[in-house]
Amino acid sequence: MLELFRDTYRYRELIWILAVKELKVRYKRSVLGFFWALLHPLLMMVVLTVVFSSILRFGIEKYPVFLVSGLFPWIFFSQSLLYASESIVTNGPLIKKVYVPKLVFPLAAILANLINFLLSLLPMALILLLLGFPFHTTWVFLPIPLLGLVLFAVGCGFIVSTINVFFHDMHHILQILLTAYFYFCPVIYDLSVVEARFHGLFRWNPLLYVLGGFRSAIYYGDPLPAPAVAVALGGGLLMVAVGYALFRRYQDTFPLYV
Amino acid sequence: MTAGSPDSVKIRFENVWQRFHVVRKRARTLHSALVHLSARRLMQFELEALKGVSFAVPAGETLGIIGRNGSGKSTILKIIARIFPPSAGRVEVNGHVSPLIELGAGFHPELTGRENVVLAGVLLGFTRRQMEGKLDAILAFAGMQEFADTPLRQYSTGMLARLGFAVATEIDPDILLVDEVLAVGDEGFQRKCLERMNSFRRQGKTMVFVSHEMGQVRAVCDRVLLLHDGEVLAEGKPDEVIARYHALLREMGPGAPVRK
Ligand SMILES: Nc1ncnc2c1ncn2[C@@H]1O[C@H](COP(=O)(O)OP(=O)(O)O)[C@@H](O)[C@H]1O
Ligand SMILES: [Mg+2]
Repeated sequence: MLELFRDTYRYRELIWILAVKELKVRYKRSVLGFFWALLHPLLMMVVLTVVFSSILRFGIEKYPVFLVSGLFPWIFFSQSLLYASESIVTNGPLIKKVYVPKLVFPLAAILANLINFLLSLLPMALILLLLGFPFHTTWVFLPIPLLGLVLFAVGCGFIVSTINVFFHDMHHILQILLTAYFYFCPVIYDLSVVEARFHGLFRWNPLLYVLGGFRSAIYYGDPLPAPAVAVALGGGLLMVAVGYALFRRYQDTFPLYV
Repeated sequence: MTAGSPDSVKIRFENVWQRFHVVRKRARTLHSALVHLSARRLMQFELEALKGVSFAVPAGETLGIIGRNGSGKSTILKIIARIFPPSAGRVEVNGHVSPLIELGAGFHPELTGRENVVLAGVLLGFTRRQMEGKLDAILAFAGMQEFADTPLRQYSTGMLARLGFAVATEIDPDILLVDEVLAVGDEGFQRKCLERMNSFRRQGKTMVFVSHEMGQVRAVCDRVLLLHDGEVLAEGKPDEVIARYHALLREMGPGAPVRK
């Protein structure tokens, strides 16, 4: 763990360059370029809002705000994992040419998505303004669920990037897993619409608390509940420890398999 | 990799083994995994790419490594460059190693030449600013100013080799590794590279040079290692070892398969 933090610090400039490269490559070939970073979550919000407040009628007040407060963090998490899962393999040419600490690749993939997420706070603020929704002072708590989500993304990112080196289908399986997990996390709905007998099951999901932290800060204007803080930070660190242990065990053999 | 030994030895291999799991047909997707699950034994075999290789390179020496394709030359360079650790044995490398200059892909195909140069330097522990300072010299040596902002995927093999060689030498490493790269450059560039390698030698730098061009090997190497099937067959003065290599080739005939 200590080694992880030390190497992350030592190679911070490299991680930054790789993250910027990731964003450049991602948007270089499209006409709208970097605007896609902002457009993608917005369009998803429009689609889901139309479906869930006009057609299905959840009856949640100011649904777009309710939605984006969970959706944008979710997009950050899922995109982070998808990019991290490919990160070792796509950087194969580099890994085979020069010694690089392998951890920079998943970390850079997640950093690139974190930059995207932070930028998506702009359209989020725009939505709030347009709907005349107040900016609660509880926004100041946001760094805590965000840190938690980053830790979970890093931990899971280490795992999926390792598996993907040896088993390329990981990336596709991950897409399906994330879709299923999306519906299991209360992003588009509130836990109150779930039948009470399932609540016990839902409470085992750590992201319930982390994503819930975003929602209470942005939508409800409530201070963070204690479990949200504990799960975000404690659970997040545990996830990182587990993920890095796996990654570390196999990282030396990556150049032989990519 | 271990500190504490006299600095006069830059590279030391002691009984180094490298084992690869070579796959005849790799099950990398679910489909092929299922199809070949039962036949896994048949699909995979172990290959000893290096079988107890030992040698040492003192500071300031240029060591040539020659041998047939598949004899393990690139594997040795990759271990020196710390790209992967050996399966067994002891490896010691003292000093800053250049990136492995080899034929084929550059660093990142989607990025421009300029971006690649900076990335390469940062990978080796330089800061972005330091690399931006070296950019002009690198592009000038490679003669690639016109293509500085072109993505690498649009470079020719020779152009990639030029840029690779320019980067590896401009960052001023203690140990320079060159793997069969000069052959793709045109003669003008080859001469330039040989000149630069010779000036490296004069500065007392250490080099490991892999080539199939015996003329070049004679021109730059102090000592040569002949590798055959992962073993050191001969070691010594360039002329003697090259003669031994030619004898080996005659013995095996032109149609000999890559490995036993
Ligand atoms: N990443 C790898 N995975 C499996 N086998 C490899 C790998 N790299 C090299 N080999 C095998 O090791 C042997 C030596 O390869 P190499 O060192 O590249 O030879 P050369 O002397 O031509 O440079 C070859 O038989 C090659 O098939
Ligand atoms: Mg080779």
